[in-house]
Amino acid sequence: MAKTVDSYRFVNGVTKRLVKTWIKLEPERDIPWTRLLKPLSKCTVALLSTGAIALKSDRPFDQEGERQNPWWGDPSYRIIPRTATADDIRVYHLHIDPRFAEQDLNCLLPLERLAELADMGIVGRVALSHYSFMGYILDPEELLTKSIPAIIDNLEREAVDVVVLAPT
Amino acid sequence: MGLAQRDIEKAGFTTVSVSNIPDLTAAVKVPRIAAIEYPFGRTFGREGDAVGQRAVLQGALEAVEEMQEPAIKHLPFEWPESMRNAHVHPPEPAPIVSYLKRHPWQVQRLLMRNVPKE
Repeated sequence: MAKTVDSYRFVNGVTKRLVKTWIKLEPERDIPWTRLLKPLSKCTVALLSTGAIALKSDRPFDQEGERQNPWWGDPSYRIIPRTATADDIRVYHLHIDPRFAEQDLNCLLPLERLAELADMGIVGRVALSHYSFMGYILDPEELLTKSIPAIIDNLEREAVDVVVLAPT
Repeated sequence: MGLAQRDIEKAGFTTVSVSNIPDLTAAVKVPRIAAIEYPFGRTFGREGDAVGQRAVLQGALEAVEEMQEPAIKHLPFEWPESMRNAHVHPPEPAPIVSYLKRHPWQVQRLLMRNVPKE
């Protein structure tokens, strides 16, 4: 029988209750759709992780701000170049165990796996830039009005076709 | 993440979310979901497991080509550990978790996403 993913296998009881309540809060809305206009093997692909991943040489995500005000989450974003590996980054998400991705970035942002798929001809090209923001943001206004538009500008500049978004 | 996906799709890019809580991602009304039953922190697979990580990413990318309308593709992969052994928790409790232990009456506020304005 085909597998159906259990949304609650890896969450505790409180989180399950939160998720089920939040699902009911979501309004009915149209689903946006951009048709793929060429085969995947000709597409440029970028990855976006909500893992709060930043280069060690870049500004860290603001963990102290969230510790001071747990209703707040840093809404900024970082660019991760396609050549980055675990040695180059840190994971600043306070809701996950960061050590796996700090040991192997591909656990959260599979840049090496994407490069292999490009070498195999399954995708066309790996975008120059990839992206991360911190996914636990209760009030997403600043994320959606500042960070996401800036990411979209960069995706356009780099002629990206397909974006794979990955949660933490 | 779902709201970000919607905005990026609206801007003219073809998007897919790899989600381990597909019920929530679908409720936000995103175009494509590749559902994966893996724990937080290792959405694409275990550290060092290149073959497994590539299979998840490839499954999600192929969904982009397969789907002609909004849909959820359930990736068939099984995580080998129970939740107890999967290290889903951060080294220190998340700030909201510690806060709610001290202020349990605020749980309702979090459930309703009624975020206090500064």
